[in-house]
Amino acid sequence: MRTVKKAQLLRLHFGESDRYKGKPLYEAIVNRCKELKIAGATVFRGLEGYGETAEIHRHHLVRKDQPIVVTIVDTPENLRRLIPEVEDMMDTGLIATSDVEYMRIENPPAAGT
Amino acid sequence: MLHKGTAKKVTIFVNEDTQHHFSSLCDSLLIFLLHKGVSGATATRAMAGFGVHQVMHTTKIEVLTEHLPIRIEFIESAEKVDELMATLYDMVTDGVIEVQDTQVIKVANKERLSPPKGPHMETRGTARLMRIYMGESDKWQGEYLYEAVIKRLRLMDIAGATVYRGILGYGVKGHTHKSGHLPFSHDLPVMISVVDSDEKLAKAVSEIEPMMQDGMIVFSDVDVIRLVHSRPAEEASHANG
Repeated sequence: MRTVKKAQLLRLHFGESDRYKGKPLYEAIVNRCKELKIAGATVFRGLEGYGETAEIHRHHLVRKDQPIVVTIVDTPENLRRLIPEVEDMMDTGLIATSDVEYMRIENPPAAGT
Repeated sequence: MLHKGTAKKVTIFVNEDTQHHFSSLCDSLLIFLLHKGVSGATATRAMAGFGVHQVMHTTKIEVLTEHLPIRIEFIESAEKVDELMATLYDMVTDGVIEVQDTQVIKVANKERLSPPKGPHMETRGTARLMRIYMGESDKWQGEYLYEAVIKRLRLMDIAGATVYRGILGYGVKGHTHKSGHLPFSHDLPVMISVVDSDEKLAKAVSEIEPMMQDGMIVFSDVDVIRLVHSRPAEEASHANG
């Protein structure tokens, strides 16, 4: 059994059409995470949803505005560095953190696979 | 009713022409098992064989074709087998009864898949949420890792699991997971979320961890509100009207 470590999970909710300096916001956030040496970040696209402005985010023929969730797992110190930066980049949206336990898996490639 | 787990398998060897109260013993045994509510029983006619009488029963010699061996098998819980055994012992006047321990892996019943009726039940409680992060192109023994993991979780009777595909991401491997220019060259991040009790997840991790080469598993405590047996929409409207 591997050791289970404590960490924090950060979730950022916003829309797919949100942009930062001409680039999609989710791409800008992932790039900023890399610059800040955050362990990892994953972007998920939801099917449909609504938020603060009560505007339904869904897939339109011409305009893509589905909900986006970015999840990041790292130490509370690293997230404290990241959150103010992300706050500046996001126009509207939601930032949520929760305490989690995690385990890293690094197995050598099995022979024969 | 037969359930997953340990059970008993009963095998009865009889002769095709052995009589029991003016009908064939094989038929009598099957009817008895059916009336007693046994989950299922199968009778198979053998090609050839011999028993305590040391006579070879075979289809090759015409005189002996009427004495072919028949094997009746059924699987039931230990208590049920105990309950039936006294009668079976009495009925089999010529033959062999054998009982062995067995492991039931799956009991599939198509009828039970139909939507359950009745008012919905709400179960509240605390559980654990497990998120497994991996790459979409990760493989395990030739099949996609996320498919293999889902199959394994299902085999372990884990309450439920969902696979999510990310649209962008990076991890400890350092390379960015991004959809390729060709529609079929994908290496996107994949996350599987599973909700179940702490003990069951711990067992699941010990099985899944060796399948993964690289990735991360994250746990958090969650409150569960589980709605089961909810009615189909039309039935609910009938009940209201």
